Amino acid sequence: MGKTIIEKIMAKAVGKSEVSPGEYVQFSAARIDHPFILTGTDMSERFGKWKSQDWTLFDPSKIIFAPEHCGSYTRVGSTTTNRENHRRNSDWLKQLGVAEENILELGRIGNCHHLAVEKALALPGSVYFSAMTDGHAITVGGVGCFGSCMSASAPAFLRTGWTWFRVPESIKFNITGKLQDGVMGRDVYEYILGQIGPNGAIYQVMEFTGPVMDNMSMDGRQSMCCLAMFTGAKTGIVNPSQEILDFFKARTKVKFEPQYSDKDAKYIKTYQYDGSKIEPQVVVPPDRHTVHNIKDVEGTPVTNAFLGSCASGRDEDLRMAARILKGRKVHPKVLFNITPGSSDSMSRVDKEGVISTLLDAGCFICAPGCGMCPGFYTPLAKNEVCITSSTTNLPGRMGDESAQVYLGSPATVAASAIEGKITDPRKYL
Amino acid sequence: MALKFKGKVWVFGDNLDVDYEIVPFRKFDAGLIKLEDVGNWCMANVDADFAKKVKKGDIMVAGTNMGCGHDHFQANLAIKQCGISCVIAESFDRNFFRNSIAIGLPIVELKGINQFTKAGDELEVDLKAGTIKNVTSGKSLKFTPYPDFLLDILEVGGMDPYADKLVAAGKVKK
Repeated sequence: MGKTIIEKIMAKAVGKSEVSPGEYVQFSAARIDHPFILTGTDMSERFGKWKSQDWTLFDPSKIIFAPEHCGSYTRVGSTTTNRENHRRNSDWLKQLGVAEENILELGRIGNCHHLAVEKALALPGSVYFSAMTDGHAITVGGVGCFGSCMSASAPAFLRTGWTWFRVPESIKFNITGKLQDGVMGRDVYEYILGQIGPNGAIYQVMEFTGPVMDNMSMDGRQSMCCLAMFTGAKTGIVNPSQEILDFFKARTKVKFEPQYSDKDAKYIKTYQYDGSKIEPQVVVPPDRHTVHNIKDVEGTPVTNAFLGSCASGRDEDLRMAARILKGRKVHPKVLFNITPGSSDSMSRVDKEGVISTLLDAGCFICAPGCGMCPGFYTPLAKNEVCITSSTTNLPGRMGDESAQVYLGSPATVAASAIEGKITDPRKYL
Repeated sequence: MALKFKGKVWVFGDNLDVDYEIVPFRKFDAGLIKLEDVGNWCMANVDADFAKKVKKGDIMVAGTNMGCGHDHFQANLAIKQCGISCVIAESFDRNFFRNSIAIGLPIVELKGINQFTKAGDELEVDLKAGTIKNVTSGKSLKFTPYPDFLLDILEVGGMDPYADKLVAAGKVKK
């Protein structure tokens, strides 16, 4: 019987010849011989444990430490305490044996799920752990890696390198045809959410396949996998493309073994969608799962736009915004916050002139990180209406509870910022 | 912890989001809720008096996709702190599932639980035996018990005490 990509990654990670859905398996980090764990200041502080305990790390060489998983200190109630926490924690981790170059400082960081890929912690065919509280670690499914967030297990995991998994069932999403220009990976995911609903893949893996996926960039793939939790999924995953293998070969000397689903792998369900017919999608507040074709909500006035977070802010997203905004201006009443996902990404697109195009259009460019998604930098004020390509739209998520958050692709966000109302991006392409 | 529980049932619906229905995360993030008294906020957005009404040992029953959304463990902690001994649901979100084991909040995934019980029933749950008895109706249900290592984690009260045990036993290998 063939196996799915996730079953093969998990079997390899726990040293078994094969694993099957429903099985509980024990994982020892001793099996992985490269850094694959990312942790940050906010984790240690939230738990209040790191500073007091006389514990040791199971293996300091496997850990990268970043100042806070969001790469930002400009949060509500921010004080110099944050910097002091970071200093204290980085000094302490150094004492525990974490190499200085693995303790990242502002200026070399970004949103942690972007970092996982940029710093080659999450490799195709392997596992990646975020020893923090952020379930979007599954974003790395986009590069063919199984990402998991340790959250409340993180302190125990960092001490022992031991944890457990439950092997999930897989659902196959076969997306045929070719996406229209201006329809992005984001739209494909939201379209699927609209079809299967928020309970559509509970504790299951969403494996995205088919011609649309074969042609999708690694950025689009990560954007889709990042959101898989909103259909209840354990993760999204895509069989890695040559672009992805080349990306990691250029970044790391670690030998990685990409995994691919067998042709006769077992899926509990298969869905088939024609990608050519997918329109730009918009999620309408207050629920995360009310998905509409853009024509249903076109013209809804917005006061804010945001491009960033782990769901966007990658090279492709920034380029798309610049393509739409080139020679145009953000609407006078709109605050368009663009937060690149990482310093690496920002630097790459800057060389192509993307950042200056966005600045010329009147965008507010923030330091790499999570940006407005959890309400940083420019939180939404009372009754503001935002269109964003970030993760979610729960009331109060991005600021005041009365603010309304619509979710769309980076292209939709950029086009809407120009007109000050929700706008189909295809007219600008 | 004996991994046997007996208590009154509180029933909630499907898709309870950790950041909204279970704990208002925005307030937590803004420093308005402290970790040590997060239990007082349990289910506050659904039933403002829940934390006052619930008694130690009571059992929470939910529908599908329990604990969906982000992986904020404050939600699991709130449920445990307010006195709930065990959560039974039709299905769980993966992050909620892992965080429950991590903080030592016993949970049981059981399809059909919503038909089996209603609010106010008295249930007896035995995690090791894999049985749930509805004392009020006299009916019983079985489920597949967790493997021993997960029962051990729940028995000692979560991953942190379990890690202490592993470290003390010299079982941590580089």
